Amino acid sequence: MLLDVKDVSLSLKREGKYSKILDQVSFHVNNGETVGIVGESGCGKSMTALSLMRLLPDKAKLDGEIRLEDELISSYSNRKMQKIRGNQASMIFQDPLTSLNPLHTVGKQIEESLLLHTSLSKQERRKRVIKLLNDVGLPRADELIDEYPHQLSGGMRQRIMIAMAMACEPKLLICDEPTTALDVTVQAQILELMNELKERTRMGIIMITHDLGVVAEVCDRVIVMYAGKVVETAPVEELFENPKHPYTKGLMQSIPKLGIRKQMLGSIAGTVPSPENMPAGCRFADRCSQAMDVCKTNVPQMTQVKKNHKTACWLYENKGVKKDAAAGSEQPKTAFYL
Amino acid sequence: MPLLEVNNLKQHFISKKGFLSEKRVVKAVDGVSLKVEKGKTLGVVGESGCGKSSLGRSILRLVQPTEGSVKFQGKEVTDLNALEMKKLRREMQIVFQDPYASLNPRSTIREILEAPLKIHNVGNKKERKKVIEELVERIGIRKDQLNNYPHEFSGGQRQRIGIARALALNPKLIVADEPVSALDVSVQSQVLNLMLELQQEMDLSYLFISHDLSVVQHISDQVAVMYLGKIVEFGDVERIYNHPMHPYTQALLSALPIPDPKQKRERIILEGDLPSPINPPSGCPFHTRCPFATKECKEVVPALEEKTDNHFAACIHI
Amino acid sequence: MDALRYVFKRILLMIPILIGISILTFFISNTIPGDPARLILGPKATPDGIEELREEMGLNDPLYVQYGRYVNGIFHGDLGESTYSQQPVIDDLERYFPATLELTLFAMLITVLIGIPFGVISASKKDKLPDQFTRVFALLGVAMPAFWLGLLFLLLFYLKLGILPGSGRLDNGVSPPDMITGMYTVDALLTGNMVAFKSALIHLILPGITQAAVTIGMITRMTRSSMLEVLQSDYIRTAQAKGGSENRVLYGHALRNGIMPVITLLGMTFGHALGGSVLVESVFSWPGLGKYAVNAITYLDFPAVMGVTLLIALLFITVNLIIDTMYHLIDPRLKYN
Repeated sequence: MLLDVKDVSLSLKREGKYSKILDQVSFHVNNGETVGIVGESGCGKSMTALSLMRLLPDKAKLDGEIRLEDELISSYSNRKMQKIRGNQASMIFQDPLTSLNPLHTVGKQIEESLLLHTSLSKQERRKRVIKLLNDVGLPRADELIDEYPHQLSGGMRQRIMIAMAMACEPKLLICDEPTTALDVTVQAQILELMNELKERTRMGIIMITHDLGVVAEVCDRVIVMYAGKVVETAPVEELFENPKHPYTKGLMQSIPKLGIRKQMLGSIAGTVPSPENMPAGCRFADRCSQAMDVCKTNVPQMTQVKKNHKTACWLYENKGVKKDAAAGSEQPKTAFYL
Repeated sequence: MPLLEVNNLKQHFISKKGFLSEKRVVKAVDGVSLKVEKGKTLGVVGESGCGKSSLGRSILRLVQPTEGSVKFQGKEVTDLNALEMKKLRREMQIVFQDPYASLNPRSTIREILEAPLKIHNVGNKKERKKVIEELVERIGIRKDQLNNYPHEFSGGQRQRIGIARALALNPKLIVADEPVSALDVSVQSQVLNLMLELQQEMDLSYLFISHDLSVVQHISDQVAVMYLGKIVEFGDVERIYNHPMHPYTQALLSALPIPDPKQKRERIILEGDLPSPINPPSGCPFHTRCPFATKECKEVVPALEEKTDNHFAACIHI
Repeated sequence: MDALRYVFKRILLMIPILIGISILTFFISNTIPGDPARLILGPKATPDGIEELREEMGLNDPLYVQYGRYVNGIFHGDLGESTYSQQPVIDDLERYFPATLELTLFAMLITVLIGIPFGVISASKKDKLPDQFTRVFALLGVAMPAFWLGLLFLLLFYLKLGILPGSGRLDNGVSPPDMITGMYTVDALLTGNMVAFKSALIHLILPGITQAAVTIGMITRMTRSSMLEVLQSDYIRTAQAKGGSENRVLYGHALRNGIMPVITLLGMTFGHALGGSVLVESVFSWPGLGKYAVNAITYLDFPAVMGVTLLIALLFITVNLIIDTMYHLIDPRLKYN
C-alpha cells in the first residue's frame, strides 16, 4: 500500500469558530493505481488533498493517521514534511496560469524542485529539466526553459506543472481538478499524458475532480465524498454500473448522456449543509428521497456491500451485509462478507 | 419565417496597446450565419476564444456588430435606434454564466425581478407584484424569500433567479451564455430541467451557448460548432453527434470524456492549442491542427455548405 | 536592447509634457494679481518708476513674447533672475536643490530599509505579535504630523540629551566639501573628507528620520497588504507543494511579486518629499528647496516659482520613468512597447 489514510478529520477556523471540514476520511492508494475523489463543491475533496500534503491554512486542526510507504507522515514536523513535498509526493492544481509564478522562467520553476531535493549540479539539473519537458510532450525544450508562463498556452502551462511535479520522480501524484480550466481537446491531451506517465512510472495518482467523465476515463477506483465524509468507494466499473449510495445515484442521474435528449434529468433537491449546521445523522438525509427515521439521528458507517465496494448508508446496514466493526476500519474482513 | 436569422455577422474588436503601437484586429465573430426557429433551441458550441460569447452579445446588440444582419421576426435589428431597440429587448433576453456576478448584491430579489418590469412600464405596482410572485413560484423559490439578497441563495438558486429576470417580460428568445458552467452537476440538472419545462410551456426559443458538449446535446435541436470566429459545422443535433463531418467536430466529440468506464473509444488527439484570433491562420482556420489538412487548406477559405440534407460543414475535403 | 529603446521613447515623451507644464505655470503665475515691479520697488515707488521697471523687465510685452523669451533662456541655461534674491534662478536652484535631494534620498533610504522588511515580517506573521507591533508602529508614523514629530525630536535629542545637532547641514567650523553633486555626504566621501562626512551625516539624522516617519508607515502598510495578497496566490501554494521552506517561499516567490505596488508608492512619495519637505526644512533650518519655494511664492518671484516648478516636474517625470523601467525589469509580462 502506497498511501493509507485513516480517520482523517480537519477543522478550520472561520470567523473565530472552528468548523469541521473533513470528518473521519479513510481510504488508500496502491502503487500504479489511480484513485478518483469525486464530489461537488464544498464536499472537502480539495481539502483532503491539501491535508495529505499538509498545505493547510494557519490554525487548522488535523487529526488521524496518514501513512506514505509505511511512514507515518502525519506525525512529521513541518520541516520534515518539506522534504516529502515535491519529492515523494507532489501535486498539480486546477489553474495552471495562476499556479505558476509569473516572474520566474519555466526552467527556473521546474529546476527548483531538483534544487530542493537532489544534489545534482547546475548542468545536470538543466539536462534533467530538458528531459522532463520532453517527457511531458513539449517540443523545443531548450528554448522553452527561458520562457515565462504568460508566453505559453493553457495546455502547455499544465504540462509545465506536470513536469514540475514529476521532477523528483514522486511515488504519489495528487491532481486537483487538473483539466477543469482547460478546453476539451486540450483536456484529452493532458489525460492521455497522465495515463502514459502512470504506465511508465507506476506511481499512484489521486485524481480529484467533479467530472464523472474524467473519472471514467482515468480512474481505477473511486471515492465519492459528500459534505466532508466518504459516502461510497468502489472500483470504477462497479461504481458506474452499480452505484449504491443515493447521493452517488443522484449524481449519476443528473449528468446529461449522449443519445438522450430533452428529457428531464435526475436532480438532487436542496443544497449541501454548511459545516456549521451539519445534520446529526446522515449528512445527506435532508436531500435523500429514501431517508428513514434512523437516517436523521444516527450516522451510518462504511458498510461492505460487495467485494471492494463499500458505502455509508442505512439502506444497506441491515440487508444481510454486516457493517465494519469499528468506524472507518479499512481492512475488510472476509468473514463479515456474506 | 425563423424567429431569428443572422446573416454574415461580423464582430471585430480593435486592440491597441498604448501610444505609438500598431493596432490589431481581433476577429471574434467572422461571418456567422444561423437561424433559430420558434420554440427550438440552437446550441452554439466551441472552445474558449472561439467567439461564441461575442456572437451572443452582438446578436443582442450589447455590442454593435461590425458587419452583417440580424433579423428578429423578420425585422432588421442592427440599425434600430435606441428607443426601438429598447422595445425589442422585451422580446430578446440574456442569461449570463456567473450567477454571482450578474445579480446586484445590494438589491433584493424582488427589486431585481421588478427592475425590467419598471423599465418597460409594465402594469401598476399591484400587477407587477403578482407577476413577480408567479415568477418565483415558477422557478421554485418561496414567496417569503423575495426580500432576501442574492448572497443568501445558493449558486443554482441564483441562476434560476437570473432566468426569472430574463423571463419577467415574456420574451420570445433567450440567449443563454454558458448558463450552467459555474454550477455543480446536480444543480446544473435542475437549471436544465427548468429551461426545458419553460420552453415547452411558453414556446421559448433558446440560443444556448456552451463549451459543454453533453449539455448542448441534451438541450438543443440544432447545433452550430464554432472555431476561431467561424461556424465550421451546423445541423440537427442527432446528425452532428452521430455523424460529425468536420474534422474539428470529430476531434471535439472524441475528446469528450464519457461517464462510462466500459466504453473505450478511439480518440483523435489534436496537436497544439487554439491559435490566437488576433492572427488567425490563412485559409481554413483549422488547418494548423487538422490531421487531414492538405496544401489547399492553407490557401482556400472553405465556405459553410450544405453537404447532405440540412447538414452544413465548412471543409473543402467533404 | 528593448529596454534601451523603451527608455529612449519615454524620454522623447517627456519633452511635450515639460513644454505643457512650462506653458501652464507660466501663464498661471502671470495672470494672478500682483505686480512684481511694485513689489521690488516697495510701497514708496512712483508710478513712473514702476512703469520704467516693468518696461525694463519686459513685463509689458505680450505674454507669448515673454514666454518665448523664457524658453529661449532655458536652452541657454538661463532661468531668469530671482526678483527676491537678485541671483540667477539657476544658481539658487544649484545651491538649494542638492540639500533637499540629499535629505530626501536619506529619508527614502531609511524608509526602504525599515518599511519593506517590517511589511514583509508583518505579513508573514499575520495577527501574531510582530504583526501587531509593526502595525501600531506604522499607524503612529502615519498619524503623527511631521512638524510635531520634528519638534519632539529636537526637544529630546538636541535640547535635552544634546547628542544630535538641531539645525543646518554642518557643524560650525567645518567647511563644506568641494562641490561635485552638492550633496555634502556624497561629496565628502568622493573627496575623502571624513571630517565633513561625519558632520554632514550627523546633521542628516534628525530631519531624515522625521521625514521618513510618515513614509515608513505608508510603505510598511502597503508592503503588508500587498504581501498578504500575494501569499494567497496559487503559485505560492505551488512553491510550498514543491517543498520550499517558509523563507524560500517568502523571499524567493512572494517578495518579488509583492514589491510591485510598493515601488509605485515609493516613487510617488519620493516625488512628494522633494517638493513638499517645507515643514521638515523649516523645523530643522535646512537650507533646501522647500524654503526657497515658499519665499518665491510669498514675494511673487515669478522666475523662481517657474524654476522650482519646472525642476520638480522634471524630477517627477524622471522618477516615474525609473519606476516604470523597474517594473519592466521585474515583470516579464510587461513587454516594452
